[in-house]
Amino acid sequence: MNRLHCLAATLAAIWVSQILPMHAAESATAKAKIAVVVSTLNNPWFVVLGETAKARAVELGYDATIFDSQNDTAKEAAHFENLIAGGYKAVLFNPTDANGSIANVEKAKAAGVPVFCIDREINSTNAATAQMLSDSYSGCVKLGQLFVKTVGKEGEYAELLGIVGDNNTWNRSKGFHSVVDRFPGLKMAAQQSGEFDRAKGLEVMESILQAHPAIKGVFCGNDAMAMGAYQALVTAGKDKQVKVFGFDGADDVVKLIAEGKIVATGMQFPKKMAQQSAEFADQYLKGKRDFAQKIPVPVEIVTQENVGKYGEYGRKP
Amino acid sequence: MNCATKWSLGIAAIACVCWRFPLFHLVPLKTATAEKAAAAFDAAKAVETYWTNQLPAAIGQAVNADQLLTAIKADPTSAKKKFSRSLGMGESYLYFVAGSGRVVAVLDDEVSLAVTDGGTNPEISLQTGLIFGNALRDGLGGFNASDYPNSQDFNDLAAALNHLVETRVLPKLRGQAKVGANISFAGCAEVDDESTDLKPLKVIPLQTGAQ
Repeated sequence: MNRLHCLAATLAAIWVSQILPMHAAESATAKAKIAVVVSTLNNPWFVVLGETAKARAVELGYDATIFDSQNDTAKEAAHFENLIAGGYKAVLFNPTDANGSIANVEKAKAAGVPVFCIDREINSTNAATAQMLSDSYSGCVKLGQLFVKTVGKEGEYAELLGIVGDNNTWNRSKGFHSVVDRFPGLKMAAQQSGEFDRAKGLEVMESILQAHPAIKGVFCGNDAMAMGAYQALVTAGKDKQVKVFGFDGADDVVKLIAEGKIVATGMQFPKKMAQQSAEFADQYLKGKRDFAQKIPVPVEIVTQENVGKYGEYGRKP
Repeated sequence: MNCATKWSLGIAAIACVCWRFPLFHLVPLKTATAEKAAAAFDAAKAVETYWTNQLPAAIGQAVNADQLLTAIKADPTSAKKKFSRSLGMGESYLYFVAGSGRVVAVLDDEVSLAVTDGGTNPEISLQTGLIFGNALRDGLGGFNASDYPNSQDFNDLAAALNHLVETRVLPKLRGQAKVGANISFAGCAEVDDESTDLKPLKVIPLQTGAQ
């Protein structure tokens, strides 16, 4: 028994003096983790958003992981449960639903995990630590003004909506209509959803052209649909007759704007928002607490006149 | 106490609790609709309150037009730093400016003023067409995006302000604007970025007066 006692005491002494400090040192040098929760990775715009946020977090010295909510608030909730349990220190968050996502942010807040919303808002001013919001409505007000200036105050036009259940679809449509509806000579001949998808946008534009061959312009709720619409117009030989307007600032549309084939898009700044969110998280983890709650990120209109200023998803350096 | 009595008493107790603390309320649809409408954000009312109670004092804080135009002419970057405000993370910025000038041109959508004594070139262009955008809401500095849980309410403020200008300010200005007339004004100008031509400075008027 004495030998056993001695052995146990020796092992305990080794553990306390050697093993415990090693674990403590490992914990001290282990990087803090930041979660990047994105509404969907099925859209290149959101892939840029997520990848940029992750890259900046890594540059700042964190381990970062992207979680794809697949446009599903329930999946998003599961991600939040997992990242809170998994010891993530901050969340860079692109919500699926302005109301439905509030509960997830509140859970994180209750667990002491700050949340920084990117691009889309939650309808709350005391859950997230800060929200960087792309102002789709105001951007489409500017596009609407340009639409009237370009297409004229008389004639028929079409509108391709995004996903019907998406807040952004209606923010953009409302902004556009807040202008064009003030001109009674402009008639909306067709309004259909292209689901923010290029192939669907092409298909919808083809059928609109058959029913309404005299349209002078088409407003598309995103650039993927604008590309589809433009393709349909080229096939129909109407790309010179119908002016195309998109939204997002995607590289392929910016190129066509430079060539005079698409009139304009609304440049959002996913890289700027994503980088800022990672920087805010870093500042928070280093002690800063006074963040503005809602930080608008104005959308800029890209036309052939100013396209030289813009690169992929942002201004050229 | 037999079983039936116990059950009856139990059910009666539950019924009393449910009557005292109902699980749900039945509300007439009209009442529910009216309550929802009453709780909704009223941008027109918020803007009217601001217009009456805060705008007059705010106009007193606007930068003098002569001073601003001189500063822009000397160094636009420095003028921007000293006199402008900006919202969020964009390149655009805004001026809230007040002054007076002589009408040098009256067009469909604008009234051009020369502010410099003896000047004939348009230096300020008061916008008199349909008003869109956020220049007034953001240029005044009286509304903060963080105060509105739903950004659409914040956007509705801009639309309500624009509507007030279209219906109250512009009809009066159109009556005052004759070439050669002297007009005082206060208003907001939004500048997209450094490449924007500031000659003339396009101002959405909030207040005008014949001098």
